[in-house]
Amino acid sequence: MKKPASRSLIALSTSALALPGIAEADTPPLTSSLSYKISNYQEDELSREQVPFGELERYDIDVHQFQFISPLGRDYALFINANHENMSGASPWFSTAGTNGQPVINMSGASGIYDSRSEVSIGARYYGTRGNIGGAIGYSEENDYRAKYVSMSGSRNFNNDLTTLTVSLSHSDDSIFPSDAERFNRVRHENKRASSVAVSLSQVLNPVASFQTALSLTGQSGFLSDPYKLQDSRPDGKTQIAFANSLRYFFIEADGALQSDYRYYRDDFGVRSHTLDLSWFQNVTRSLKIVPMLRYYSQTAADFYTNIDDFLKPLSESQSSDYRLSAFGAVSGGLSVVADFGGWSATLTAERYVANEKYSAFTVDQPSPGLVQFTRLSLGVNYSF
Amino acid sequence: MIRLMAVLITLGVLTGCSQVQPWERGYLAKQEMAWDSDPLERALNDHIFFSKEASSGGNIAAGGGCGCN
Repeated sequence: MKKPASRSLIALSTSALALPGIAEADTPPLTSSLSYKISNYQEDELSREQVPFGELERYDIDVHQFQFISPLGRDYALFINANHENMSGASPWFSTAGTNGQPVINMSGASGIYDSRSEVSIGARYYGTRGNIGGAIGYSEENDYRAKYVSMSGSRNFNNDLTTLTVSLSHSDDSIFPSDAERFNRVRHENKRASSVAVSLSQVLNPVASFQTALSLTGQSGFLSDPYKLQDSRPDGKTQIAFANSLRYFFIEADGALQSDYRYYRDDFGVRSHTLDLSWFQNVTRSLKIVPMLRYYSQTAADFYTNIDDFLKPLSESQSSDYRLSAFGAVSGGLSVVADFGGWSATLTAERYVANEKYSAFTVDQPSPGLVQFTRLSLGVNYSF
Repeated sequence: MIRLMAVLITLGVLTGCSQVQPWERGYLAKQEMAWDSDPLERALNDHIFFSKEASSGGNIAAGGGCGCN
């Protein structure tokens, strides 16, 4: 009788074959895997100083994520992802000057917002002798928004498989049909399109370090304003460039790995930003890891951002009091505990995010009173079979 | 700015590389050394930050949009 391969042998083989250079070719995953993650995302309430009247509560969102990966024959793999979110709360509607002349926020309707979002995507990938190529299609639907998208990517290994070049393309076609459009004089139906191309180069530096550099370019066109804001008018086109660099370094003595990711971003709305992500993966035992994480983010304001809406300005001129277009900085920290029981693994994550104009690396001319602070808790499980 | 970073990175890569043999790549094969060691965590974070900040994009082409931004 043929003896089944042990879990540890499969895990070892999978890890080894996932690495260019050990395998003679790129290979699909050796086993199937099913993953589920449940998360709660909760934004802090605003203060009465920031919101003189109405709701203080902001978004509370529950997220369910599913992923199924399976090899198909010797050279192919199938990927299925599904997400579902339930959200409630309120978001900034417009901004005015308070009694002291400082900006204050008026929140969306007293009854708040209730919405849900469902998304599914399916993809396949072919693994050849020197690389892999694959694609996916996806569909996302909310009460007031629908997105259909397609993506493709291909990787080629060079230099004894120490260097990998990856090119990816995507296109999304979105429809916006705001709730209560007639009652609040919102747009009835609008469209938005986004196309992206990204090129990345990965390089193994030595037996414990690898580096990746990537450039992505995204063009958006159509209705880019926020239909739920009272006075929001943005240009109908946007070009975004992101330049990302990642380092992975394993410290043998410490039995831990550093993940470091930096991104520089700019767009023609006038936003520039820096993002730095650091994670330390500490192996405590063979089946237990703890992963502290730290992230810093800072952006400039969009050229047309204002922290007090000007209702005399015609909508033909760009204007927005959206806090996401203001200049600010944000610090977030988190901790994950990862337990691996052979075929099963579980990950528990807690994260805290605080945005504040005081953390900005750039000059802040008009601070927003609507910046977000949130707490996120997640529990994920993965089963390989 | 971008040009300066590109030059520095290219120099760093060219001077830092060595011929790593297949049997020397055990540490590189560990899950924590992957570019995307937890795809669901990464997808969730991308979605949250896409919703709360003005920046997006990076090393892969963007997926579908949402009403959150």
